[in-house]
Amino acid sequence: MTTPKDFKAEIGSDMRVSQKRVLFITRRTSPQVKTHDELKVQTFPEVLIRAVLAVEVLLVALVTMSLLFNAPLEGLANPTNTPNPAKAPWYFLGLQEMLHYFPPVVAGVIIPGLLVVSLIVIPYFDINVEAEGFFLKNRKQRFLWAMIVSGTLSLFLLVFDVYVALVPTLIMAGLLLTAAYSTPETKNRFRRYLALKPISWWIMTWFLFELFVLTVVGTFFRGPGWSWVLPWRS
Amino acid sequence: MPGTFASYLEKLENSRVWRSIFRSGRGTSTLHNALAIQQNVFLHLFPTKVRKRMLGLGATWYLGTLTLGTFIVLVVTGVLLMLYYHPSVPLAYSDVKDLQFAVSSGLFLRNLHRWSAHAMVFLAFAHMFRVFYRGAYRAPREFNWVVGVVLLLLTLLLSYTGYLLPWDQLAFWAITVGTNIASAVPLLGDKIRFLLLGGNLVNANALLRFYVLHTVILPLAAFLFLAVHFWRIRKDGGLYVRESEPGVKAKKTSEEQESL
Amino acid sequence: MQTKNTSFIASLKAFLRDPYRVFGVVSVILLLLLTIAPAKDYFSEWHGFQRQYLRFITNRGDAVTLRRHFEGGIQQIWIPKLGVVDRCQTCHVGLTEASLYDVKEQPFRAHPAMPHKLTEFGCVICHRGQGAATTVKEAHASEMAGEEPILPTKYIESSCGQCHHSALEGTPKLNLGRVMLSRYGCVHCHTVTLPDGSKMQATDDPPPLTHIADKTTREWVYAWLKDPVAYSATATMPNFNLSDADASDISAFLMANSKPGVGDTMAVAETHGPAPDPTAGASLYGESFCASCHAAQNAAGNLVGGDLGPELTRVGNKVKPQWLMAWMRNPQKYDPNTPMPQYRWSDAQLKTITAFVMNKSDSDYMANVHLQPATPAQIAHGKALVVEYGCASCHEIAGVPKPDNFGPDLTRIGSKPVVQLVFLPGMEHSLPAYLNQKIRQPRSFGSSFRMPRYNFNTNQVEAVTTELLSHTDRSFDLPAELQVPTVRETNYQPAGHAGQLMTDLNCFSCHRINGHGGDMAPDLSWEGTSVQSPWLDEFLKNPNTLRPALIRRMPKFNFTDAERKELTDYIMNVYQNPAFLRDEMPATGYAPDLVEKGRQLFYSKYACQSCHMVNPDVDKGYIGPTLTKVGSRLNASWIYHYLKDPQALRPGTVEPNQHMSDDDARALTAFLMMQKSGSKGAK
Repeated sequence: MTTPKDFKAEIGSDMRVSQKRVLFITRRTSPQVKTHDELKVQTFPEVLIRAVLAVEVLLVALVTMSLLFNAPLEGLANPTNTPNPAKAPWYFLGLQEMLHYFPPVVAGVIIPGLLVVSLIVIPYFDINVEAEGFFLKNRKQRFLWAMIVSGTLSLFLLVFDVYVALVPTLIMAGLLLTAAYSTPETKNRFRRYLALKPISWWIMTWFLFELFVLTVVGTFFRGPGWSWVLPWRS
Repeated sequence: MPGTFASYLEKLENSRVWRSIFRSGRGTSTLHNALAIQQNVFLHLFPTKVRKRMLGLGATWYLGTLTLGTFIVLVVTGVLLMLYYHPSVPLAYSDVKDLQFAVSSGLFLRNLHRWSAHAMVFLAFAHMFRVFYRGAYRAPREFNWVVGVVLLLLTLLLSYTGYLLPWDQLAFWAITVGTNIASAVPLLGDKIRFLLLGGNLVNANALLRFYVLHTVILPLAAFLFLAVHFWRIRKDGGLYVRESEPGVKAKKTSEEQESL
Repeated sequence: MQTKNTSFIASLKAFLRDPYRVFGVVSVILLLLLTIAPAKDYFSEWHGFQRQYLRFITNRGDAVTLRRHFEGGIQQIWIPKLGVVDRCQTCHVGLTEASLYDVKEQPFRAHPAMPHKLTEFGCVICHRGQGAATTVKEAHASEMAGEEPILPTKYIESSCGQCHHSALEGTPKLNLGRVMLSRYGCVHCHTVTLPDGSKMQATDDPPPLTHIADKTTREWVYAWLKDPVAYSATATMPNFNLSDADASDISAFLMANSKPGVGDTMAVAETHGPAPDPTAGASLYGESFCASCHAAQNAAGNLVGGDLGPELTRVGNKVKPQWLMAWMRNPQKYDPNTPMPQYRWSDAQLKTITAFVMNKSDSDYMANVHLQPATPAQIAHGKALVVEYGCASCHEIAGVPKPDNFGPDLTRIGSKPVVQLVFLPGMEHSLPAYLNQKIRQPRSFGSSFRMPRYNFNTNQVEAVTTELLSHTDRSFDLPAELQVPTVRETNYQPAGHAGQLMTDLNCFSCHRINGHGGDMAPDLSWEGTSVQSPWLDEFLKNPNTLRPALIRRMPKFNFTDAERKELTDYIMNVYQNPAFLRDEMPATGYAPDLVEKGRQLFYSKYACQSCHMVNPDVDKGYIGPTLTKVGSRLNASWIYHYLKDPQALRPGTVEPNQHMSDDDARALTAFLMMQKSGSKGAK
């Protein structure tokens, strides 16, 4: 039985290319952007081309490095032959340096645990929201607190002979002192800069400084038996 | 002839197959550009528009982008390295030796993986500090900061588990030192170490466990959290702008600006 | 200039402002960089060597053959069982091409002939280096992976010692090193465990110092401690580089610590008597074959004699006559472990030999040694020094216990990583160089090191270094079936009264029986099957060497008839070969035609006369024992079975196995049994 087609279905070419879209906005689903009169660009292609470019530059650097320097490879793992010193990867050397001074429970568990917890809770701390210079309000009281905290910390490090961590702490305390005696009106630019820094900035900068110094010391300045060595003296 | 090439390209881009894949179609209009982002499963995680002042190097230093770049390099080189690697004790080391001496470009591949891994750890840290100093963790971006911290930990774990795989002295003792720290946890320390190593010693079990963590579990977790991380950038209102940073005021029709 | 510069920077800035253009440029740079990695592969060293090899063989006559054998690409020997992945042949292309044996240009020379196949063991097990590497530097002198660098050829024998724990014919240096490690008592202080779990044993005989005051004077001890070589050129005692005061204190302690031993000395009256005849002393010394074990300088200054016992050139300066005489009577009274036999001399002979030996002295030696009597503080300091230097590791000293593991364990010294060694400035950074220096000049690494200096020549130092290098990790990891074990010493002791007699005589100093004893004289395990009783009895009465070429001879012990008979009976009845009966063939009565056939076999088919003598007038064979009287010495069945398979009865003998038919062996036995003492020989 053959039935001739008596109708022809057609889809408008526009319909095939792009289907009908409904745009709707529900309330309170996404945060509002406050600044409206700001110049914006399309992610495609303006942002993407720059992102790809950045990654390409990185690749050029990595490929050049891979062509010039070979990844280290030592002898077959041998449990009976302990290298001296046995070092963890560089990003853990700050921790290993702490292990040198403190019992493993403190340096290996409590300190890193506290670090992770404090990193996580940073955005939930209200005092950071102000983002005002630390000494711009309640200067006397805050100065006392700052000195007590940094003094206790320094004393603690001194008692445990942790000079490697003590030096950055003292430098930061010195900067804190400078900030306390500076205002946004001070002539010196650097002091003006310090005066505007909030408490969170001080803590994080101290942490970054310690992390940097401990990692560098652990990587370059530690030899057999975790003794102090100078890297330029082989 | 350039004209011919362009016309072929145009034909291709208008073909049915092409249009079935790339729905946004040909054109450089704002609509087309917006569709290019929205209709791509990977790119739709990102916002369609970005404030122009965020494009400059000074704002973000592109640290997040670069970290993602190292991650992609690591996935690609890592998968290629897996083709030559057996996670078993006599073979792991000799496989690395083979990569070094017998596999074509094997040494380059391993170098690239190794240096990218170091770069990723460094860049992840740098990204975190940059975000902090810009204050970009503040509400409503609190949760994305937490996701970022998780990603930092995942990066460290990925790098650390990969450290054991060559099974050389460097690897063995770094893992021995590291896992000994874990055993310092009160009460549960030895149990945690046992769980990490699949035994009491760094041996073949530990190698297998670290291999699975390094190549399956941790990368999957990283993919998951990366997706959330990017998605939340868009949902939390795009890249954070500090009031103090110099803005670029729009002209009358801000939406239609195209050229830079 | 200024404007030009600024305009350049300005144009650069303008360029950087267009991300698409920068993208293009960076992409091109990246692509170019990415092509370098495969290019590096293509221009790698080994590719270069293979191309060089192909050019090198083009002009040779055997180019076609060599080219047919050539295979490009990375070549490797892979032996999973041994952990061998050796890619050496990637560059050493002509390693197995016999025609390339004299090629000057490395890496293309063929490997010299060797006992093992290349494909069975690879290269690295013997030569060390990094087999997996495909670059010259990494393969030969790896710095990166803590690999072992190539072993210098002069120490190559050490690699044989990883599996072969007994002496090999082709490894004289290793064999010497092994003997020295035991002979010089290195293993008293250093533990060396072999892969089979046994420990290397010392073969020196450090005398006990418990009764040393009976034997010698404090002055001699002092002079000896200062420089043992000054007393005897062959001294096995090392030089501790002691200061005068330290040597004086140690000698004081040893003397003060010494207690008189029972029977260590003889009464002065007994040692004095009518002046003995000096010529009698010389002939007694000669016929007792003292020189088999003891050396002494002759008039020309050459050392003559064996090295089993101490050198006697200046012994008169050392020992007291009363002690020497008691020692000659019964050495085991003073030192139960001495290898010196009891000679059973008569009192008159004792006097003669003592006087003769005491006469071996040097008036210049110790002429300048004058020691003050020691204070208790000095004696106490001497004891502290004895403990510090570990003297008791070797010597028995009353009140000072033998320290355990005084020196570092050397079990795996051959694989010690270079990073664990501390080198002297200017020294070659390699394990062999370190060991060599440590043996040659131990104290050069610092005065706090206690290891003494041995008086070794270059050859000996290399031998000991070679030996130490053989104790590798690999020797423990190689499959057990590859290990060729050392000959294990049993603790066999003969029983009964005859056994006691053999112990007194120290037969085991020279003879080996049932796996116990020395290797200087024949193994006596099957002596009862081998020899005829009358011959043995006569031999013990008056030992004569069977091999005229030998210097060492069996000494003449002064047995009583009863002792001799007991010993003969014991040997004849106990030391029998279980494989066949001693008397299964007759001693006489062989048919003349059989004897004649044997004679022809002896002279023509087997040409035995090239090594043995049957008729001293005609035969010139000096290598094997003289057979002129073999029919009176050996049993027929022993000769028969020996001819059939010499190595079964005397393992390691040079006598070739001729795979004789039963008839040939019987005929030769008949012929040899006719060679009896008093007979006319084979005419």
